[in-house]
Amino acid sequence: MKDLIRIKSLISTEVESLLNQQVKKEAYSSSVYLAMASWCNRNGYDFSSEYFFKQAEEERQHQLKFYKYILDMGGNAISPDVTGIKQEYNSFREVFEEALDQEISVTQSIKNIYARCLKEQDFVTNEFLNWFLKEQREEEYKARRALELFEVIGEEGTGRWQIDKHVGGIKYDSEA
Amino acid sequence: MVNTTQTQELSTWTNVFGTKQGAIYQCDEERCWYVDFAGKVAKFDYRCLLKLKKAVYHVDIEDRLLNSGKSPDVEIIFICACDHTYVLNLLQIIALKEILEGTFVMFQLNHIIQDTLYRLPL
Repeated sequence: MKDLIRIKSLISTEVESLLNQQVKKEAYSSSVYLAMASWCNRNGYDFSSEYFFKQAEEERQHQLKFYKYILDMGGNAISPDVTGIKQEYNSFREVFEEALDQEISVTQSIKNIYARCLKEQDFVTNEFLNWFLKEQREEEYKARRALELFEVIGEEGTGRWQIDKHVGGIKYDSEA
Repeated sequence: MVNTTQTQELSTWTNVFGTKQGAIYQCDEERCWYVDFAGKVAKFDYRCLLKLKKAVYHVDIEDRLLNSGKSPDVEIIFICACDHTYVLNLLQIIALKEILEGTFVMFQLNHIIQDTLYRLPL
């Protein structure tokens, strides 16, 4: 009997399902960042708004990377429903706290897929995921650095204006 | 759709997994599967077989068993872009699920065997 399932697809149905969940997660992240960009813009934090627009675009690119990988490997990529995006925030700081939470949740989710692939010895998908693991270093660093600005600058007086200005300049250029 | 399995067809089909209620056969030549269940033999390609599995697994059997409502004990298994539809009662759903579970375990086993016997020694 031919191994027809393997002939049709490189990835198992379990990994395919996890990757589709990740597509949804990235799409959700992109929408959350877009809502954050809107909130920041409406409240006068233009640099932060621009920062979140860029983040939204990056998450969208991540979503497409996963989406195309599933298709390239013979799987069925599912265009996700994205609902329940929070539109209002109580404070400038809360926006960045939730951005970091979002990134931590994405990292955890990718680690989960990685663990499943190791169990199945799906090293091809593991190799594909390596790029995302490295990307998460940058994403978490930037989100953590933004929160750090609240500590070192402080929110009093023109603090929030200063924080906003510096958020625009956050970069991660580690070669490690 | 085929209504009965002919001896000639059975000789080219491999019985992947079967129970008293039905069976799933693989046809290597056509690269498809034949599901012999509920009085008919239906042909499924790769995508449709996965959709059938998803649709059957999606039925919440426990919820159906505990539900004392008056709604009929019938589930319509409709698969998009596939020629076949099943109208099954709960016992048939359980039986079909058992066949599909067994089939996919056999696929995994076959994958391991193919890897070990043919792919890795080369």
